[in-house]
Amino acid sequence: MPTSSSLTSSPWRFKQLGCAAALFALAALSGTAQAASMKDGAKAYEPFIAENIGKAIAGAKEMQAAVKAGDLKAAQDAWIKSRKGWEVMEPVTGTYFGEFDKTVDPWPNAKSGYHAIEAVLFSAKKTDDLDQPIAEMLANMDKFEKRLNDKKFAFAPQKLLEGTANLAYEVGEEKSGGGESPYAATSIIDMQQNVAGIEFAWNTIFADTLKKKDAKLAGLIDERTQNLKKLVGVADIKSMDAKKVHVGGEELAALMLQAAPKLGLKPFKVGDEDEEGADKAK
Amino acid sequence: MRFGPTQATAVGGFIGLAMSLAAAHATPVVSQDATLPVGSELNEQLLDQPTELFAAEQAGGKRSHLFNLGDMLFSSSAIFGGKAADAGMSCNSCHQQGASNPKLFVPGLSKKPGTFDTTGALFNAKADNGVFDPVTVPSLRGDKFLAPYGHDGRFASLRDFVRNVIVNEFAGPEPSGQTLDALIAYIHEISFLPNAKMTSDGHLTGKASDAARRGEVVFNKPFPSNASMSCATCHEANAAFVDHKVHDIGTGGFFKTKTLVNAKFNAPYFHDGRFDNFDEVVGYFDKHYDLGLTKDERADLVAYLDAIGDADTPFTPNTVQAEVDELSQFASVLDVAIPSRDKEVIRLAVDSVGAEWREVGENFPDRKDTSVEGGLTERLKARAGVRDLVLTLRQVAMAAEADDFTEAARLYGEYRQAVATVTPYLKTAEQWSLYNPRVHEKHFAALRQLAELAK
Repeated sequence: MPTSSSLTSSPWRFKQLGCAAALFALAALSGTAQAASMKDGAKAYEPFIAENIGKAIAGAKEMQAAVKAGDLKAAQDAWIKSRKGWEVMEPVTGTYFGEFDKTVDPWPNAKSGYHAIEAVLFSAKKTDDLDQPIAEMLANMDKFEKRLNDKKFAFAPQKLLEGTANLAYEVGEEKSGGGESPYAATSIIDMQQNVAGIEFAWNTIFADTLKKKDAKLAGLIDERTQNLKKLVGVADIKSMDAKKVHVGGEELAALMLQAAPKLGLKPFKVGDEDEEGADKAK
Repeated sequence: MRFGPTQATAVGGFIGLAMSLAAAHATPVVSQDATLPVGSELNEQLLDQPTELFAAEQAGGKRSHLFNLGDMLFSSSAIFGGKAADAGMSCNSCHQQGASNPKLFVPGLSKKPGTFDTTGALFNAKADNGVFDPVTVPSLRGDKFLAPYGHDGRFASLRDFVRNVIVNEFAGPEPSGQTLDALIAYIHEISFLPNAKMTSDGHLTGKASDAARRGEVVFNKPFPSNASMSCATCHEANAAFVDHKVHDIGTGGFFKTKTLVNAKFNAPYFHDGRFDNFDEVVGYFDKHYDLGLTKDERADLVAYLDAIGDADTPFTPNTVQAEVDELSQFASVLDVAIPSRDKEVIRLAVDSVGAEWREVGENFPDRKDTSVEGGLTERLKARAGVRDLVLTLRQVAMAAEADDFTEAARLYGEYRQAVATVTPYLKTAEQWSLYNPRVHEKHFAALRQLAELAK
């Protein structure tokens, strides 16, 4: 979970939010968000994404420097650091930043993105020929950050709920082949970051509103989130109870689906989804 | 997925491409973090799947509840334990569509593709015999006619054999009577595939070649060293080409006679898979029994084995419709399980069918898959539709766990309706999915490039 201190060290949001709003954002990042409404929660969620795209960029820049210096270990560490920032944003990378998601985190792709770099750093154990893919990745991360900084940009509860529930569903995907980062063997970190991202998004945007509407369902979602967090809190994929994670991810996503109408949102069945993102990503 | 007689003959528009791109394949396990060792190959991403026919349907009947339950369990990792369950393996991993799996390879357990040491430590340390003794993965076609079971015929009963596979080979929990009954009901239904070159009593038809006819004579010809014996002594033509006995043919012990029906698709051959083709098999017998075959006689005998081992439609292209049909059959066990409040079967069905749906969903590449062009909106809708199905099914299980079977029944109805709603989305997106051989090849070519980069 991101800490409030890490936010305060970044002046980015304080320049854009009024004092009251900034205090509100701090409360949200502490994991005990008190969102007056989901719209406020969605607004309070923005600093979290700003902070983490910043981490992804910072890690990528460190990796760039390490690769230039031929320091494999430092480059690997920086790759993991950058990826942690990226993975915790997954509730929104696909729904709001799809065109950057496919350039930063494509799979399978041997030319660009995290996994092309991963295969070279962690499996081939080289730092050769990575300048261009890292530079391209950084350029796309910068574009991501620019979009987020655009005054017109705003998250909306409907898409945030779908992105959050969809990520819970994806956490339960088959991981026996090694998961999302097979060459680095760090997929468990991806999953931990995914779950942290789910928890943060839910607590910041939806939890309080649902508590008022259906405290029992809100409690179940919280319990399932903590359960999932515990299940992925292990050293590696091999140590994880894959079956329980599979069921846990689905149960959490299914409960979020149930929560949608109680939150005054659509239950995002196929056909209901906003196609704008897909069209833009073409 | 599997195909009934209808689907087996209903060839989709992709078949021509499927034949030309049949070499497309997945990549082996690459991650040190994977459940199975690096280099493992389960050969799961098949464009053309072994055709599967069921006796009752061939006779104009239908699939029973017990059959559907067995079919579902056959594809479920839930009946296994340990690494097999963690790896998502099922009976179907090795016996694809009830046939064999000639590409199956697990480092440390396989000597060559298509072989597997069932008494190794990886899947069940308790069964480890300390000997590296991999055996071939047998086809289950016609299995009800092929007792005894196991390469050395150690099990007279198929039921005992299946239990041993679950509990001892793959460290699963003791299966319930219902589980075993269902699996046996299913396996008993897996038929030999029709072969127009052979009559039902094991003789060649007019469609067989002249060489095969000459080979049939050689097959029935007494051995020079023992006139009471011929190939047909053990491989009885009128009994699925088996004698239900074990024999020592100089390969290191007593092993049961293998069927020759559809055997063209069962390579590698002999209990340990030492031979890759019929030519090598015939060469071995010629030498071991001092048959003194001429070059032409050997070629004729190979032609005969090729003819009686053939099948009219050995493979069937995988399609969205076939997947939907199969998963509807699997899920139909809930028709009985929910009203009878059978929590075990409800849980198994939800886990198994949900996992299968997820695999279907993965065949529709998301926007991150840059190897695929076009149809992004359609692909995303297909994926979202699959997600809806999986999550609706999960809610069925959650309701049942809470003893609310009325709600479970309502949600199951919702699921069935959702399948009808989602299927058109899947079919619309099929041309941009891995069911299309061109897309399949591009996707796996990208995976292979990544694997190359990692070297």
